[in-house]
Amino acid sequence: MQKSSIKIKICGLRRVEDAKIVNNYHPDYIGFVFAESKRKISFNDAKKIKESLNENILAVGVFINPSIEDIIHLIKTNTIDIVQLHGDEDEEFIATLKEFDNEVKIIKSIEVKNNEYSIKNVIKKWEDSDVDYLLLDNGKGSGEVFDWRLIGNIKKPFFLAGGIDGENVEYASQFKPFAIDLSSGAEENGFKSSKKIAKIMTKLKEVNNMNNGRYGVYGGRYVPETLMNELINIENQYNLYKNNVEFKNELKKLLNEYAGRPSILYYAENLTKDLGGAKIYLKREDLNHTGSHKINNVLGQVLLAKKMGKTRVIAETGAGQHGVATATVAAFLGMECEIFMGKEDVKRQALNVYRMELLDAKVNIVYSGTRTLKDAVNEAMREWSKRVGDTYYVLGSVMGPHPFPMIVRDFQSVISEEVKEQLFEVESTLPSVVVACVGGGSNAIGSFYSFLDYEEVKLIGCEAGGEGIDTKYHAASITKGEVGIFHGMKSYFCQGKYGQIASVYSISAGLDYPGIGPEHAYLNDIKRVEYVPITDEEAVKAFEYLAKKEGIVCAIESAHAIAKSIKIAKEMKKDEIVVVCLSGRGDKDVESIKNYKIANSN
Amino acid sequence: MNKITEAFKDKKTFISFLTAGDPSKECTVEYILAMENAGADIIEIGIPFSDPIAEGPVIQDANIRALSKGINTDDIFDLVEDVRKKSSVPLVFLTYINPVFHYGYEKFFKKCHDVGVNGIIIPDLPYEEKGEISKFAKKHCVDIISLIAPTSKDRIRMIAKEATGFIYLVSSMGVTGVRNEITTDLREIIDEIKNVTDVPVAVGFGINTPEQSKKIAKISDGVIVGSAIVKIIEKQGSNAKQYLQEYVTKMKNATKDL
Repeated sequence: MQKSSIKIKICGLRRVEDAKIVNNYHPDYIGFVFAESKRKISFNDAKKIKESLNENILAVGVFINPSIEDIIHLIKTNTIDIVQLHGDEDEEFIATLKEFDNEVKIIKSIEVKNNEYSIKNVIKKWEDSDVDYLLLDNGKGSGEVFDWRLIGNIKKPFFLAGGIDGENVEYASQFKPFAIDLSSGAEENGFKSSKKIAKIMTKLKEVNNMNNGRYGVYGGRYVPETLMNELINIENQYNLYKNNVEFKNELKKLLNEYAGRPSILYYAENLTKDLGGAKIYLKREDLNHTGSHKINNVLGQVLLAKKMGKTRVIAETGAGQHGVATATVAAFLGMECEIFMGKEDVKRQALNVYRMELLDAKVNIVYSGTRTLKDAVNEAMREWSKRVGDTYYVLGSVMGPHPFPMIVRDFQSVISEEVKEQLFEVESTLPSVVVACVGGGSNAIGSFYSFLDYEEVKLIGCEAGGEGIDTKYHAASITKGEVGIFHGMKSYFCQGKYGQIASVYSISAGLDYPGIGPEHAYLNDIKRVEYVPITDEEAVKAFEYLAKKEGIVCAIESAHAIAKSIKIAKEMKKDEIVVVCLSGRGDKDVESIKNYKIANSN
Repeated sequence: MNKITEAFKDKKTFISFLTAGDPSKECTVEYILAMENAGADIIEIGIPFSDPIAEGPVIQDANIRALSKGINTDDIFDLVEDVRKKSSVPLVFLTYINPVFHYGYEKFFKKCHDVGVNGIIIPDLPYEEKGEISKFAKKHCVDIISLIAPTSKDRIRMIAKEATGFIYLVSSMGVTGVRNEITTDLREIIDEIKNVTDVPVAVGFGINTPEQSKKIAKISDGVIVGSAIVKIIEKQGSNAKQYLQEYVTKMKNATKDL
């Protein structure tokens, strides 16, 4: 079973009341220390505590060079369930113990000195042994943290011990331990503390939820069984590669040399002067190769696909930006490519269809449902379930089943990382406000992510208000939608009375989607990000205004963010700063905006 | 033994599917009864959804036809009530998680129990997310039918262990729809399931000829047919009764002469 939730062990119980404390929080394991230590207890005391312990919590006996007889005695008297060895016990000892009781689980503790060579060798020795788990600790219960970056990939499940508490448990989880071992981190004045255990259990629960792709109640993995193993496979492979130096360097090189990163953070002086309020900076994702932020994610995912041995990529597209980016990278990295695009969008974005074909991708026109982005996702998922073996589905936004919202966010967060650095260089400060448009929400999460921990930075996401949120013609999932479960995720969706997904509308094909990524749903609920609807009319006005004032023709999607920035910048002080993510360029939209103007001129 | 598992007793079970409201509520009631008369042991009733991502074109179109006539979840509960006046055949809903979530889990499963729905299949609710509904389904005695796919591999045991009613073994990769050939090594998967559970295993996706029906029945506990039936309804509209009876009889008989 591939489950990624991290277990917890609370070590060094000494009093019966300790059992009562842990029963409230239900860790997976507790530990009795029988070796010389300030937490050492007698066999009898341990038995008494075990009797008060919730029967689903497993007790671990901690020993240094014990006798086999003692261990067997403790197991037989139901004092312990698992054996943890810290001394010079060798493989012969392990074998003898297993002979007496072949069901007994054994944890072998390894003292990790901060030295890569020594760790690798010791771990290697025990990895191939008969013990069930390893335990990595900095000395015998020293309570100090060692350099976890030295851990690397370990074949056996391992407990991580030494100096872990509520503060560093999240960091610890990144090293993929099987369980976290707590001792002093769960104590106050030398005894187990309810408060400290509560804190760390809550934190670990959060971490575990994140690992399962949850953002609060949102996210998850609601897909047909056919896709489950592949999603777990992608998650595991991604977690492996994301910390791999070679992979990171390769991606960085592609982002810099192929996509043209870092993208410029441009001070829009004309706009700023004309509006007379806050300083406006534009993050020019439109200047990336293929003309939008989509390339950031696509380079990451297609590179991952290639590392995974896939030979074919598929993707959905709305406006065509993600389709073009995928077709581009597939051509460049030598992968077969098929794009799914709704008939309506094919009509709106005819030039992009030709562009994808030019890049040797096959464009499949989708005639089902509303024939837009939502239906393109349906069809891409159906196609993927036919051929998961050689095919990787390059999802274009922070949506869909876990791990996609996490992977896409990670690859897009380069936007805010750069903004933070670039702005600091010229202004020596953080932005006051960051604004981005939201369909599925990938450029928005990318623009927000590095600022989430800075409460003083206000974050605003602009949804497609279409012809107005009081009409039927909009795609404002947060403002007007309800919680639902669709396309693999729990989030906000525009839907009807019986949970049928609504047909939505926006002038912008890229925002014409009935849902929003699950992390956005969460950020909305905790009020970290404000989501506002922007109408077609407001977006078109902003599109024209930016062209006239700055000589920049932006994508109609991005114009939604510009529109909001225009509104707020006027009201802000001159020393405040608004950063707008200009997610894409507008060549693709010129014709449809011309048509919109003609249709609305009467 | 519950009603669904009972339907597998001492015989190979034939399970037929139709989409509720296609072409009308009245026809759905009529067709369910006709299929039961023709030998169907369990009937799956599809609650149409706007975006059925596990379905091929045939059932997708049936969903659209039904929804465009305005059928909704309450209508379908009414329709089941009508069926129950005349039949006690085990009934299983097939739908997607959003219509159930939106209706409210407690309300939905209570209603299932009240009108007499015995089980539910939700293709986009895998093992890990089952917790959404398991409490409510259990309380109201509705079996959650688990799906196992050709790609399930190391997940088979985990899923089978907790399965209730019957296990829906997906015969092939991809979406629902008629197939000429089924190439998955089903026997191997079934053996693995049988190692951990006594819950019966029925195979679906792609089965449409009596020959396939016979072949599948030989190695499993039951045969599930959907798209082929929906196709008959698509073609014959409100005059499909006789054709359905003939087809179901033929398919059911094929499972008998082993």
